Amino acid sequence: MTLLPFVAAGIGTGSVYALSGVGLVVLYRSSGTLNFAFGALGAIGAYCTWSVLRLGVPPALAWVAGIAVSTPGSFLYGLLIAPLLRHRDRAVRSVGTLGFALFILGCTGLIWGEAVPRRLTFPTDQYFALIFGVRVTYTRLLALCIAISMVGAITLLLGRTRLGLSMRSLAADRHLSSLLGIPVVRIDAVAWLISGLFAGVAGLLLADLVALNAVFLTFLVIPAIAAAIFGRLQSLAGTALSGFIAGIAEAVLSAEPAVSSYRSAVPFVLALLFITFVGGRHLAAMHE
Amino acid sequence: MVGLRYVSFLAAITLVLLGWVATASAKPSCGLNNGKPATGEPIPIGSINGVTGPDDFSSSAKAADAYFKCVNANGGINGRPVKYITADDQWRPDVASQVATKLVKDDKVVAMIGSNSIIECSVNAPLYERENVMVIDIAVAHECITSKNIAPVNQGPRLSGVGMLRYAAEHLGVKKVACLIWNIPGAPEWLCGGFSEWGKRHGVTVQKVIVDPGSSDYTSAMLQAAAFNPDAILLNFTKGGIIQSLAAAQEQDLGGKYKFLSLASGYVVGLPETIGTYWKDRFWTELEFKPLDSAGPDNQNWIAIMDAYGSKSDPRDTFSQGGYLAAKIATEAMLKLDPAKIDRASDSEALRAVKGFKTDIMCSPWYVGDGKRHNANHAGMIAVAHDGGWKPEGACVEIDDPELDDVFAAEGVKAK
Repeated sequence: MTLLPFVAAGIGTGSVYALSGVGLVVLYRSSGTLNFAFGALGAIGAYCTWSVLRLGVPPALAWVAGIAVSTPGSFLYGLLIAPLLRHRDRAVRSVGTLGFALFILGCTGLIWGEAVPRRLTFPTDQYFALIFGVRVTYTRLLALCIAISMVGAITLLLGRTRLGLSMRSLAADRHLSSLLGIPVVRIDAVAWLISGLFAGVAGLLLADLVALNAVFLTFLVIPAIAAAIFGRLQSLAGTALSGFIAGIAEAVLSAEPAVSSYRSAVPFVLALLFITFVGGRHLAAMHE
Repeated sequence: MVGLRYVSFLAAITLVLLGWVATASAKPSCGLNNGKPATGEPIPIGSINGVTGPDDFSSSAKAADAYFKCVNANGGINGRPVKYITADDQWRPDVASQVATKLVKDDKVVAMIGSNSIIECSVNAPLYERENVMVIDIAVAHECITSKNIAPVNQGPRLSGVGMLRYAAEHLGVKKVACLIWNIPGAPEWLCGGFSEWGKRHGVTVQKVIVDPGSSDYTSAMLQAAAFNPDAILLNFTKGGIIQSLAAAQEQDLGGKYKFLSLASGYVVGLPETIGTYWKDRFWTELEFKPLDSAGPDNQNWIAIMDAYGSKSDPRDTFSQGGYLAAKIATEAMLKLDPAKIDRASDSEALRAVKGFKTDIMCSPWYVGDGKRHNANHAGMIAVAHDGGWKPEGACVEIDDPELDDVFAAEGVKAK
C-alpha cells in the first residue's frame, strides 16, 4: 500500500491540529492561561450557526452569528471569571477553563442534544486540490491558511504593538505587570476576546472538517495540547508545524493495520518523546 | 344548479366523515383503554440508557415513558399505575453498575423496560440474572442477546449487519465488503468476524477495517477501505460516525464507486437530509422494524401515543418504536396478573411466558421463552436514502446469521 495518499489525507487532520494548537498558544502567550474551553467555545458557535442556517438566513450572516456567540462568551469569562483566579498560579487558572468548557458542553447538550443528526458544510467543500491522488478540499486548505494567518497576526500583535507588549508582560509576571501600571483585568479581557474570536472561526471550520458534535469538538483541544507542547507553549509557528506533522503521522499510521486502530495516540506519543528526550529543560516555561 | 349543490353537500359530508375517521384513528390506544386514571399502589419499572456521552440513546425510554403515561391515564395495570424510573449511565461502566444497583436494590423495580445502552448489558447482565429481573430492551451490544434475563425487541447490530449484507449480495451484486468498525473491545470480532462467517456460506468476502473512535480522520479510514477494492463499504457506527464517514467518502467522490451500507443505527430520521443529495440512492440501511411511517395500526398507535403523551422534541426513530413495543409487551404481560400480587417474581414469570406477540411494527411474531438467550426478532427490511428521506426497498426478509442456529433450532426452524 503506497503511503503518499495517506500523507495527503493527513493534511486535513494536520490542519485541524494546527488550528486548535495555535488557538491554545495564543491565549497562553498573552495571558499565561491554557484555555481548555477553546473547543467548547468553538462548538457552541458552530451549533448557533447551524440553528441560524435552519432559519433560512444567508450563510455569511449565520457564520457571523456563530462567531458572535463564541467571542463574547470568551470575553465575559475573561472579564468576570478569570479575574477571580488572577492571583492563582497558571495551573489553577488553566483548570478553571476546564470548568468553563464543561459548563458550555452542558449548555449545548441542554439546548441542542445529540438526538438530531447535524452537519455543517461550507461552499469551499465543493472545490479541491488533487494531491497524491487524494482530494484535499479548499476548506482544509483554508483551515491551514487561517492557522498560518493566525500565527502571523498574533506574532505581529505581540511583537509590534503596545497591547502586545502588555500581554507579554502579563504572561511573564502578572504581579510585576500590575505594579508597572498595566491594567491587568482589561488586558486579560482583550486576550480572552481575541481567543474567543479565534475559537469561533476555528469552531466553524472544525465542525465542517471533523463533526458538528459538542463532545468531539470540546475534547479536540487534548491532541492540540500535544501540538502546543512541541511549540513549548510559546512558539506559534512551532505549534502549527508540529500539529501539522502530528496529523500527517497519524494518517500515515492508518496504513499499518497493527497500529491503525490506536493512531489517535500519535500526538501524545510524540509529545511524550519530545518531553523525555528534547524538551525537559524547556518545561520550565510551563511553570511560573 | 341543484345537482351542483347536491354534489357540494355530499363532498362536505364526506370531508367531515374523513376528518372524523382520521381523528378517530389518531386516538391512542393502550392498556385497559378505559380513560380512568390509575390511583393504586405504583408498580416500579426501571430503564437505563446512554444519554450523555458520544450519542443520545434515550428515545426508547422516552417512548416507553409515553406509553406508560397512556396506560396510567387509562386504568393502569388493573388500577395500579406504573412508576417508570429512568437512569443515564453516561456511557460509563461504573455509572451503569451504580444506577442498576439503585434501581434493582433500592427502587425494587419489577422489570427493566426500554433500556438502550452500549455498555449496560455487559455490566449488569449478571445482576439481573442473580436478582431475577427480566429486561425487555433494545440490544446494541453482544451481551444484550446472550443473557438469560435480557430479551431485546430489536435484532441487535449483528443480525442487522447480516440482513444488510444479504440484501447487498442478492440485490446489489456485492461480493466483496470492507467492514468499517470502531475499536471497541469485542465488537470487531463479533460483528465483522460474524459477517465474514456469514460471507463464507454465501460467497461474500468481508475485510475488517478497524477505526480509532478517537480519531478525527475518516479520510484515511476510507483510503484503507478502498485499498481492498471492495464492492461495498459497511459502516458499523452510530449516526455521528456515519455522518463523518460519508462526509469523508463524499470528499473523495467514492459514492459512485462503492455501495455504502449501514446497520439499523443508520436508520435515523433526518439523516438523509443531513448527508445531502449526493447520497441519493447510494446509501442503504437495514431496518430492525417496519418503516417509521408505515400505515399499520400499531405503528400509527405508536405515533399517536408519542403525540399525545410524549414531548414534541422526543425523537420518532427506530429506537422509539422499540421502546413503545417493550412497554406494550410489559403492559400486556402484567395485565394478565392479579394486580395485588404483581412483584418481581410474578412479573418475570409473566414476561418469560410471552409468546406469539404480534405487531405490524415487526416482521414476525415475537416471544421470550425460557431459553438461555433471546434473539426473537430476526427478520427485517432495507431502506435507501432518497430525496431527503428513506425509501423502503422490498419486503421483510429472514436473516440467516450462523449465530442464530441455536435460536432457529429452539424455534423448530431448520438452521440455514
